[in-house]
Amino acid sequence: MNQYTRMIVVLLIFSVLSGAVLAFSYELANPKIQEQAQKNLEASIKNVLPGITKYEQVEKEGLTFYIGLDDQGNKKGIAFKATGQGFGGPIEMMVGYDPKEGKLTGLQILSMAETPGLGARIQEPTFTDQFKGKSVNDPFEPKKDVQVITGATISPAGVASGIKSALEKVTKIYPVGGDY
Amino acid sequence: MYQLVKDFFNGLWNENPTFKMIIGMCPTLAVTTAAMNGIAMGLATTFVLVFSSLLISLLRNFIPAKVRIPCYIIVIATFVTVVDLFMAGYFPAMYKILGLYIPLIVVNCIIMARAEAFASKVTPMRAIADALGMGLGFTWAITLIGAVRELMGSGTLFGFPVFGENVTRWVIMLLPPGAFITMGVLLGIMNLLTRRGVKNTQCH
Repeated sequence: MNQYTRMIVVLLIFSVLSGAVLAFSYELANPKIQEQAQKNLEASIKNVLPGITKYEQVEKEGLTFYIGLDDQGNKKGIAFKATGQGFGGPIEMMVGYDPKEGKLTGLQILSMAETPGLGARIQEPTFTDQFKGKSVNDPFEPKKDVQVITGATISPAGVASGIKSALEKVTKIYPVGGDY
Repeated sequence: MYQLVKDFFNGLWNENPTFKMIIGMCPTLAVTTAAMNGIAMGLATTFVLVFSSLLISLLRNFIPAKVRIPCYIIVIATFVTVVDLFMAGYFPAMYKILGLYIPLIVVNCIIMARAEAFASKVTPMRAIADALGMGLGFTWAITLIGAVRELMGSGTLFGFPVFGENVTRWVIMLLPPGAFITMGVLLGIMNLLTRRGVKNTQCH
């Protein structure tokens, strides 16, 4: 075998093997990844709707809602996903909303690509807890009613505007004080 | 055995990737906003470095010299993707901390540099010793940079508050310029320390 054929053959073997290894690992790991994603979704719903034990998934006007229920089956609030534009890409979050009181019950960041140590701190409870008990009619303006993070103003602004624009749609479907 | 120990310590100090060879600067400057990030990135890199060095050392007589670089890239990229997939599926807690950094390892030239300059020329044992030394050398270096930046920028160390609430935080240390300032000052200190150890400065 001359050296050129050998080069081609070796590269071919490497590529085929690498493809096979990747396909095999993906097949093996993907069910687990999906399972984790489902678990994380459940955990985030329970986190933003304190006191619930189970939830029901409802599709309305193209949006997905998770209605939280306690032990006795009483409705405790609605969780929904919202997306905001951050510094490093979209910020996905789970928001808890109590239509009876017209207030938010919690916020959890699901995924984001903000700068570690700066914008990524929007995940920390010190930032997310400020949205607990916030009225849906608040302006959601950074530095006014939304505390920002030192060195990172774009990420908190993305969170605030993401929640606000999602709430505009959600409060039309589930108005404050209305039934759900 | 002596050779293995020498290979291991080489990366920790004499040929430290960050402070002596100045390679792998992209993750060094980008993720060192906190000490914990340095440890996480360093350990993830060490993990990939050890296994890619081992594989390349094992395959060193099989890879033709002219296509060695594409072969290394395929090995490293495949390995990083496999680590990424399995960590996401089986170690979700660890993935939450490291997940952001794992894809960055592909672009870390330390791994490529060690494959090319060392692992492709020596036995698997020596390749592993070198990879461990280089990986841990990288880890302590970026943890130190992270600690300095975290201390000055957020007033904490590994997340624990060090300075009181009233001390002004230097936000610039958390921003990209802070990375260059810290790197420059630490590099200067490192050079000062090493120069003191050399008896005949005329040689340099």
